[in-house]
Amino acid sequence: MSMAVNRPRWTRQLAGLIRKDLRLELRTKETVMAMVLFSIVTLTIMQFGFGTRDDDLTRFTGGLMWVTLAFTAVLGVGRSYVAEREQRVLDGILASPVPRVVLLAAKAIAIVIYMAITELVVIPVVGIFFVKGPYWDSIGWIALVALIANVCIALSGTLFSGLALFTRARDLILPVLFLPALVPVVIAGAGATHAVVGGPHDMSEYRGYCLFLVGYAILFLLVCIATYDAVFDD
Amino acid sequence: MPSSTTDHASRRVIGARAALIWGVIAAVLVTVASVGVFLVAPEDADQGVIQRIFYFHVAIALVSLVIFAVACVAGILYLRTRNVRWDDVSVTAIRIGMLFSVLVIITGSIWAKASWGTWWVWADPRLVTYLIVVLIYAAYFVLRSSVDDDRRLRYSAIYAIAGFVSVPLSFYSVRIAQSFVHPVVFTSGGANMPGSMLIWFLISLAAMLALFIALLEVELVGRRTERALRALSLRLESS
Repeated sequence: MSMAVNRPRWTRQLAGLIRKDLRLELRTKETVMAMVLFSIVTLTIMQFGFGTRDDDLTRFTGGLMWVTLAFTAVLGVGRSYVAEREQRVLDGILASPVPRVVLLAAKAIAIVIYMAITELVVIPVVGIFFVKGPYWDSIGWIALVALIANVCIALSGTLFSGLALFTRARDLILPVLFLPALVPVVIAGAGATHAVVGGPHDMSEYRGYCLFLVGYAILFLLVCIATYDAVFDD
Repeated sequence: MPSSTTDHASRRVIGARAALIWGVIAAVLVTVASVGVFLVAPEDADQGVIQRIFYFHVAIALVSLVIFAVACVAGILYLRTRNVRWDDVSVTAIRIGMLFSVLVIITGSIWAKASWGTWWVWADPRLVTYLIVVLIYAAYFVLRSSVDDDRRLRYSAIYAIAGFVSVPLSFYSVRIAQSFVHPVVFTSGGANMPGSMLIWFLISLAAMLALFIALLEVELVGRRTERALRALSLRLESS
């Protein structure tokens, strides 16, 4: 009875877990720094990958941005459980009376924050590097679709990184599991970006892609809620 | 217990008779569908003989959606019951679903070459999304081979459910994509073809469904037999 009284509310558990992840990141700055650097390196490689010195790659902006963000997401998501596993913190969390869904939510929110920080750099850099037409008036729309896509990335990423955690060669398994699931996010993210960059805004197309992403997020949320207990059912 | 009774009982447990019945049904339906599609069904006025690939291409595509749904439901049932038989159904269904999805890509690619003059059309959402579906379910086998014991079954079930999320995305992508070249045969208003074609399409659909069930049953019989043999050899060793 007293245990039930002493058990913290799920909101406090969630806040505690997010605080732990963010504090760890603030101390080391390993994950976010690596994600930002990785994304800039990838964007630079992309420019040379086209085999052209053309300054104006406006028509490829959405693709360049979202392929880069997808690869960066794999990197960030791959790091999300590493600290817990290496320091055996995960054993402690799993032994404590924290519902698995709270653990999922905490990880997903941390990934959304890491991705948002990375996008704060990537979205302007894409504009500076590749776009010579109108771009900066669309930045709010790009940020909005990025926010929705981050939720999609965080939900599917948390599920797949949980699955990959105890596999052999987990660093190899995660991209194989996660990247195919990210393809619809890349398609919709790039489509929505194209709709608002380099010309008149096509808001009906933009809205369609955003709704698709919301549908993706809802589907993965349901899958995560239904299965996350089983991921750590040891 | 007389040996004939024991044989009968073990055959029932293994389910060999069901596999045989479904095998016969599938063979008959595939034969009837092939004859009907190539010799009886009317030729399409626009596309000519190549349009006949549609009867198998679309039937296989629709049945593959059913197969992945079966794998997903079996995954859910495994997580609820932890009965290894549901894992058998799930993994076998995904194996057959992969085969069907590859056939969708091959038949779609042949159709694309005949209709649009190229083997691969990135603007065709169904072809592209089936490629994604194949990549997603290929990862299922990579995951399955990299974990052991109870975790292997659990993770496979979870992935079968998560993978199935891609199937409605595949289906709806035909409707939502902007650059749209694929012929839409079924709309919300009904089937977009004459009755003489529709009947052969429905027979092809039934043939592909029966083929899936027959393949599933045969593979499950193999798995059950293997398990029964292992149990028998353990019993013999202990006695």
